[in-house]
Amino acid sequence: MLPWHGVTAAPSTLYLDLTAEFNRGRLRTLLSSGQAVVFHRLAIMSKDGDWIVREDDEALAHVLGVLAAKGAVYRFGAPLDRRWLAGGWSSHLEFRAQDLRLRTDFVSRPPRIPASQLAAMWSTAEASGVPVVDVEPLAALKLTNREKDYVVVGELARQMKDPRQQLCYSRSGRDLLVLAAGHPALVAEVARERPVLLEIAAGLERLEAALDRERRDLMRRNEERLAGYQRAAVAWAAAWPRLAEPMRGVGLLEGHRRMVDSAATLLPYRPEAGASS
Amino acid sequence: MTGPRDEFLSEEDLDLRNLSDEEFAAWWLLWMRQAQVTNDLDAGTYEHGVFRYDPAVVKVPSPD
Repeated sequence: MLPWHGVTAAPSTLYLDLTAEFNRGRLRTLLSSGQAVVFHRLAIMSKDGDWIVREDDEALAHVLGVLAAKGAVYRFGAPLDRRWLAGGWSSHLEFRAQDLRLRTDFVSRPPRIPASQLAAMWSTAEASGVPVVDVEPLAALKLTNREKDYVVVGELARQMKDPRQQLCYSRSGRDLLVLAAGHPALVAEVARERPVLLEIAAGLERLEAALDRERRDLMRRNEERLAGYQRAAVAWAAAWPRLAEPMRGVGLLEGHRRMVDSAATLLPYRPEAGASS
Repeated sequence: MTGPRDEFLSEEDLDLRNLSDEEFAAWWLLWMRQAQVTNDLDAGTYEHGVFRYDPAVVKVPSPD
Protein backbone atom coordinates (compact mmCIF):
# COMPACT_ATOMS: atom_id res chain seq x y z
CA MET A 1 0.00 0.00 0.00
CA LEU A 2 1.59 3.25 -1.08
CA PRO A 3 1.29 6.05 1.43
CA TRP A 4 0.98 8.77 -1.21
CA HIS A 5 0.37 9.19 -4.90
CA GLY A 6 3.11 9.32 -7.48
CA VAL A 7 5.50 6.96 -5.72
CA THR A 8 6.04 3.51 -7.10
CA ALA A 9 8.91 2.30 -4.96
CA ALA A 10 8.28 3.58 -1.46
CA PRO A 11 8.97 0.92 1.15
CA SER A 12 6.60 0.89 4.08
CA THR A 13 8.04 1.96 7.41
CA LEU A 14 6.10 3.17 10.42
CA TYR A 15 7.44 6.70 9.88
CA LEU A 16 6.37 6.73 6.23
CA ASP A 17 2.93 5.48 7.25
CA LEU A 18 2.78 8.23 9.86
CA THR A 19 3.73 10.79 7.23
CA ALA A 20 0.78 9.64 5.15
CA GLU A 21 -1.51 10.17 8.16
CA PHE A 22 -0.12 13.64 8.78
CA ASN A 23 -0.75 14.50 5.13
CA ARG A 24 -4.21 13.00 4.76
CA GLY A 25 -6.26 15.47 2.71
CA ARG A 26 -3.47 18.03 2.44
CA LEU A 27 0.32 18.22 2.37
CA ARG A 28 1.24 19.34 5.89
CA THR A 29 4.58 17.68 6.59
CA LEU A 30 7.78 16.68 4.84
CA LEU A 31 9.67 13.70 6.21
CA SER A 32 13.17 14.89 6.95
CA SER A 33 16.60 14.05 8.31
CA GLY A 34 17.33 10.43 9.27
CA GLN A 35 14.10 8.91 7.95
CA ALA A 36 14.50 10.86 4.69
CA VAL A 37 17.93 9.23 4.45
CA VAL A 38 16.13 5.92 4.89
CA PHE A 39 13.63 6.86 2.18
CA HIS A 40 16.49 7.62 -0.21
CA ARG A 41 17.90 4.22 0.74
CA LEU A 42 21.28 5.48 1.82
CA ALA A 43 21.42 4.12 5.34
CA ILE A 44 19.34 3.18 8.37
CA MET A 45 20.94 5.09 11.19
CA SER A 46 18.19 6.81 13.16
CA LYS A 47 15.45 5.53 15.45
CA ASP A 48 13.55 8.80 15.45
CA GLY A 49 11.32 10.58 12.95
CA ASP A 50 11.75 14.21 11.99
CA TRP A 51 9.40 16.35 9.95
CA ILE A 52 9.20 19.84 8.60
CA VAL A 53 5.66 20.98 9.33
CA ARG A 54 3.69 23.77 7.76
CA GLU A 55 3.52 26.79 10.00
CA ASP A 56 -0.26 27.11 10.13
CA ASP A 57 -2.85 26.27 12.74
CA GLU A 58 -4.75 23.70 10.69
CA ALA A 59 -1.62 21.70 9.91
CA LEU A 60 -0.45 21.74 13.51
CA ALA A 61 -3.87 20.81 14.88
CA HIS A 62 -4.11 17.90 12.44
CA VAL A 63 -0.68 16.56 13.38
CA LEU A 64 -1.49 16.89 17.08
CA GLY A 65 -4.78 15.05 16.50
CA VAL A 66 -3.00 12.16 14.76
CA LEU A 67 -0.49 11.91 17.57
CA ALA A 68 -3.17 12.23 20.27
CA ALA A 69 -4.98 9.25 18.78
CA LYS A 70 -1.78 7.24 19.14
CA GLY A 71 -1.32 8.15 22.79
CA ALA A 72 1.70 10.37 22.18
CA VAL A 73 3.12 12.56 24.93
CA TYR A 74 5.32 15.61 24.79
CA ARG A 75 9.02 15.37 25.52
CA PHE A 76 10.93 18.41 26.65
CA GLY A 77 10.75 20.89 23.81
CA ALA A 78 8.66 23.72 22.48
CA PRO A 79 4.89 23.42 22.06
CA LEU A 80 3.77 22.41 18.58
CA ASP A 81 2.57 25.94 18.01
CA ARG A 82 3.45 28.28 15.17
CA ARG A 83 4.58 31.09 17.49
CA TRP A 84 7.51 29.02 18.80
CA LEU A 85 8.14 27.13 15.58
CA ALA A 86 8.51 30.44 13.74
CA GLY A 87 11.42 31.20 16.06
CA GLY A 88 13.20 28.03 14.96
CA TRP A 89 12.28 25.99 18.04
CA SER A 90 11.60 22.28 17.72
CA SER A 91 8.74 20.19 19.18
CA HIS A 92 9.24 16.64 20.37
CA LEU A 93 6.73 13.91 21.11
CA GLU A 94 6.85 10.15 21.44
CA PHE A 95 4.60 7.11 21.59
CA ARG A 96 4.82 3.34 21.34
CA ALA A 97 3.69 1.18 18.43
CA GLN A 98 4.46 -2.47 17.72
CA ASP A 99 6.72 -2.54 20.80
CA LEU A 100 8.80 0.26 19.29
CA ARG A 101 9.47 3.66 20.76
CA LEU A 102 8.64 6.12 18.02
CA ARG A 103 9.78 9.69 18.40
CA THR A 104 8.31 12.49 16.35
CA ASP A 105 10.27 15.72 16.06
CA PHE A 106 9.04 18.83 14.26
CA VAL A 107 10.39 22.12 13.00
CA SER A 108 8.84 24.59 10.60
CA ARG A 109 12.02 26.62 9.99
CA PRO A 110 14.73 24.06 9.37
CA PRO A 111 18.29 25.28 9.87
CA ARG A 112 20.45 26.24 6.88
CA ILE A 113 17.42 26.36 4.57
CA PRO A 114 16.55 29.87 3.34
CA ALA A 115 12.86 30.81 3.12
CA SER A 116 12.88 30.74 -0.70
CA GLN A 117 14.31 27.21 -0.72
CA LEU A 118 11.80 26.08 1.89
CA ALA A 119 8.94 27.42 -0.25
CA ALA A 120 10.39 25.56 -3.24
CA MET A 121 10.58 22.35 -1.19
CA TRP A 122 6.86 22.56 -0.41
CA SER A 123 6.06 23.27 -4.08
CA THR A 124 8.20 20.38 -5.27
CA ALA A 125 6.54 18.00 -2.83
CA GLU A 126 3.09 19.22 -3.89
CA ALA A 127 3.96 18.60 -7.53
CA SER A 128 5.66 15.23 -7.07
CA GLY A 129 3.38 13.83 -4.39
CA VAL A 130 6.48 12.76 -2.47
CA PRO A 131 6.46 14.35 1.02
CA VAL A 132 10.12 13.70 1.70
CA VAL A 133 12.98 16.19 1.76
CA ASP A 134 14.98 15.84 -1.45
CA VAL A 135 18.71 15.13 -1.51
CA GLU A 136 20.02 18.70 -1.86
CA PRO A 137 18.12 20.30 1.05
CA LEU A 138 18.68 17.10 3.02
CA ALA A 139 22.43 17.62 2.63
CA ALA A 140 22.07 21.17 3.96
CA LEU A 141 20.10 19.88 6.95
CA LYS A 142 22.81 17.33 7.65
CA LEU A 143 25.56 19.93 8.08
CA THR A 144 25.20 19.52 11.84
CA ASN A 145 27.61 19.27 14.75
CA ARG A 146 27.76 15.47 14.45
CA GLU A 147 30.56 13.71 12.58
CA LYS A 148 28.29 10.92 11.36
CA ASP A 149 26.12 13.33 9.39
CA TYR A 150 29.02 14.32 7.12
CA VAL A 151 29.28 10.74 5.95
CA VAL A 152 25.67 11.00 4.82
CA VAL A 153 26.29 14.37 3.14
CA GLY A 154 29.16 12.80 1.20
CA GLU A 155 26.92 10.07 -0.12
CA LEU A 156 24.00 12.43 -0.75
CA ALA A 157 26.27 14.56 -2.94
CA ARG A 158 26.87 11.52 -5.10
CA GLN A 159 23.11 11.19 -5.56
CA MET A 160 22.83 14.73 -6.91
CA LYS A 161 22.49 15.08 -10.68
CA ASP A 162 23.47 18.73 -10.97
CA PRO A 163 27.26 19.41 -10.91
CA ARG A 164 26.64 22.72 -9.14
CA GLN A 165 24.89 20.90 -6.29
CA GLN A 166 27.67 18.33 -6.18
CA LEU A 167 30.26 21.10 -5.95
CA CYS A 168 28.29 22.67 -3.12
CA TYR A 169 28.08 19.51 -1.01
CA SER A 170 30.68 16.91 -2.01
CA ARG A 171 32.85 15.75 0.90
CA SER A 172 35.28 13.85 -1.31
CA GLY A 173 38.47 15.52 -2.50
CA ARG A 174 38.79 12.99 -5.28
CA ASP A 175 35.22 13.57 -6.48
CA LEU A 176 35.81 17.32 -6.43
CA LEU A 177 38.93 17.03 -8.56
CA VAL A 178 37.01 15.04 -11.17
CA LEU A 179 34.13 17.53 -11.07
CA ALA A 180 36.51 20.46 -11.41
CA ALA A 181 38.16 18.93 -14.45
CA GLY A 182 34.78 18.71 -16.14
CA HIS A 183 33.39 22.06 -15.00
CA PRO A 184 36.23 24.56 -14.42
CA ALA A 185 34.09 27.69 -14.89
CA LEU A 186 31.47 26.39 -12.50
CA VAL A 187 34.09 25.77 -9.81
CA ALA A 188 35.13 29.43 -9.87
CA GLU A 189 31.49 30.46 -9.56
CA VAL A 190 30.55 28.07 -6.73
CA ALA A 191 33.79 28.86 -4.87
CA ARG A 192 32.31 32.26 -4.04
CA GLU A 193 29.77 30.44 -1.85
CA ARG A 194 32.08 27.58 -0.84
CA PRO A 195 35.67 28.84 -0.47
CA VAL A 196 37.03 25.34 0.14
CA LEU A 197 36.83 24.84 -3.63
CA LEU A 198 39.65 27.34 -4.06
CA GLU A 199 41.95 24.61 -2.73
CA ILE A 200 41.21 22.37 -5.69
CA ALA A 201 44.02 24.05 -7.59
CA ALA A 202 46.44 23.20 -4.76
CA GLY A 203 45.96 19.46 -5.18
CA LEU A 204 44.32 16.60 -3.32
CA GLU A 205 46.19 16.80 -0.03
CA ARG A 206 45.54 20.51 0.49
CA LEU A 207 41.94 20.11 -0.63
CA GLU A 208 41.30 17.26 1.82
CA ALA A 209 42.81 19.27 4.68
CA ALA A 210 40.56 22.17 3.74
CA LEU A 211 37.52 19.84 3.67
CA ASP A 212 38.38 18.72 7.21
CA ARG A 213 38.64 22.33 8.37
CA GLU A 214 35.36 23.17 6.66
CA ARG A 215 33.63 20.29 8.46
CA ARG A 216 34.92 21.41 11.84
CA ASP A 217 33.84 25.00 11.14
CA LEU A 218 30.36 23.84 10.16
CA MET A 219 30.12 21.72 13.31
CA ARG A 220 31.13 24.63 15.51
CA ARG A 221 28.66 26.93 13.79
CA ASN A 222 25.84 24.53 14.54
CA GLU A 223 26.98 24.12 18.13
CA GLU A 224 26.85 27.89 18.54
CA ARG A 225 23.36 27.98 17.04
CA LEU A 226 22.17 25.31 19.49
CA ALA A 227 23.86 27.09 22.40
CA GLY A 228 21.70 30.16 21.69
CA TYR A 229 18.56 28.08 22.05
CA GLN A 230 19.91 26.41 25.16
CA ARG A 231 20.53 29.80 26.81
CA ALA A 232 17.03 30.96 25.91
CA ALA A 233 15.49 27.78 27.35
CA VAL A 234 17.09 27.92 30.81
CA ALA A 235 13.87 28.87 32.63
CA TRP A 236 11.82 26.38 30.60
CA ALA A 237 14.31 23.59 31.35
CA ALA A 238 14.21 24.40 35.08
CA ALA A 239 10.41 24.20 35.15
CA TRP A 240 10.02 21.15 32.92
CA PRO A 241 10.55 18.32 35.47
CA ARG A 242 7.55 19.50 37.54
CA LEU A 243 5.40 20.15 34.43
CA ALA A 244 6.09 16.94 32.53
CA GLU A 245 4.57 14.22 34.71
CA PRO A 246 1.11 15.76 35.33
CA MET A 247 0.82 16.46 31.58
CA ARG A 248 1.27 12.80 30.72
CA GLY A 249 -1.92 11.74 32.47
CA VAL A 250 -4.33 14.12 30.78
CA GLY A 251 -4.09 13.20 27.11
CA LEU A 252 -2.12 15.02 24.47
CA LEU A 253 -4.64 17.70 23.55
CA GLU A 254 -5.12 18.84 27.14
CA GLY A 255 -1.38 18.41 27.70
CA HIS A 256 -0.76 20.66 24.73
CA ARG A 257 -3.00 23.37 26.18
CA ARG A 258 -1.12 23.21 29.48
CA MET A 259 2.19 23.22 27.66
CA VAL A 260 1.29 26.36 25.72
CA ASP A 261 0.08 28.10 28.89
CA SER A 262 3.30 27.31 30.75
CA ALA A 263 5.64 28.05 27.85
CA ALA A 264 3.99 31.42 27.30
CA THR A 265 5.76 32.78 30.37
CA LEU A 266 8.91 30.65 30.35
CA LEU A 267 10.02 30.10 26.76
CA PRO A 268 10.51 33.11 24.46
CA TYR A 269 9.08 32.76 20.96
CA ARG A 270 12.47 33.66 19.54
CA PRO A 271 15.72 32.67 21.25
CA GLU A 272 17.34 36.05 20.72
CA ALA A 273 14.41 37.69 22.50
CA GLY A 274 14.90 36.00 25.81
CA ALA A 275 18.27 34.64 26.76
CA SER A 276 16.88 33.96 30.21
CA SER A 277 19.85 33.12 32.34
CA MET B 1 37.56 7.13 -12.28
CA THR B 2 39.85 4.12 -11.99
CA GLY B 3 41.83 5.01 -8.83
CA PRO B 4 40.70 4.60 -5.23
CA ARG B 5 37.37 6.10 -4.25
CA ASP B 6 36.51 7.86 -1.01
CA GLU B 7 34.08 5.67 0.91
CA PHE B 8 31.41 7.20 3.14
CA LEU B 9 28.98 4.40 3.94
CA SER B 10 29.40 0.65 4.33
CA GLU B 11 28.64 -1.86 1.58
CA GLU B 12 25.74 -3.02 3.75
CA ASP B 13 24.26 0.48 3.69
CA LEU B 14 24.80 0.93 -0.01
CA ASP B 15 23.20 -2.44 -0.71
CA LEU B 16 19.89 -1.12 0.64
CA ARG B 17 19.10 0.09 -2.88
CA ASN B 18 19.14 -3.47 -4.16
CA LEU B 19 16.48 -4.70 -1.73
CA SER B 20 12.88 -5.13 -2.81
CA ASP B 21 10.33 -2.94 -1.03
CA GLU B 22 9.31 -5.89 1.15
CA GLU B 23 12.90 -6.77 2.02
CA PHE B 24 13.66 -3.15 2.80
CA ALA B 25 10.63 -2.77 5.07
CA ALA B 26 11.52 -6.01 6.90
CA TRP B 27 15.15 -4.89 7.33
CA TRP B 28 14.06 -1.49 8.65
CA LEU B 29 11.75 -3.14 11.19
CA LEU B 30 14.47 -5.56 12.29
CA TRP B 31 16.94 -2.67 12.66
CA MET B 32 14.41 -0.69 14.70
CA ARG B 33 13.68 -3.64 16.99
CA GLN B 34 17.38 -4.20 17.62
CA ALA B 35 17.93 -0.50 18.22
CA GLN B 36 15.35 -0.49 21.02
CA VAL B 37 18.00 -1.92 23.37
CA THR B 38 19.49 1.57 23.72
CA ASN B 39 16.18 3.23 24.63
CA ASP B 40 17.17 3.65 28.29
CA LEU B 41 20.53 5.11 27.36
CA ASP B 42 19.09 7.70 24.98
CA ALA B 43 15.88 8.43 26.91
CA GLY B 44 16.93 12.02 27.50
CA THR B 45 18.81 12.78 24.30
CA TYR B 46 17.71 14.29 21.00
CA GLU B 47 18.67 13.41 17.45
CA HIS B 48 16.99 16.45 15.90
CA GLY B 49 15.97 19.95 16.77
CA VAL B 50 17.41 22.54 19.11
CA PHE B 51 17.21 20.74 22.46
CA ARG B 52 20.04 18.62 23.79
CA TYR B 53 18.84 16.84 26.92
CA ASP B 54 15.49 16.35 28.64
CA PRO B 55 15.88 17.74 32.18
CA ALA B 56 13.14 15.40 33.44
CA VAL B 57 15.26 12.35 32.60
CA VAL B 58 17.97 11.23 34.99
CA LYS B 59 21.20 10.75 33.07
CA VAL B 60 22.25 7.12 32.74
CA PRO B 61 25.96 6.65 33.48
CA SER B 62 27.83 5.34 30.46
CA PRO B 63 28.88 1.68 30.84
CA ASP B 64 32.66 1.86 31.19
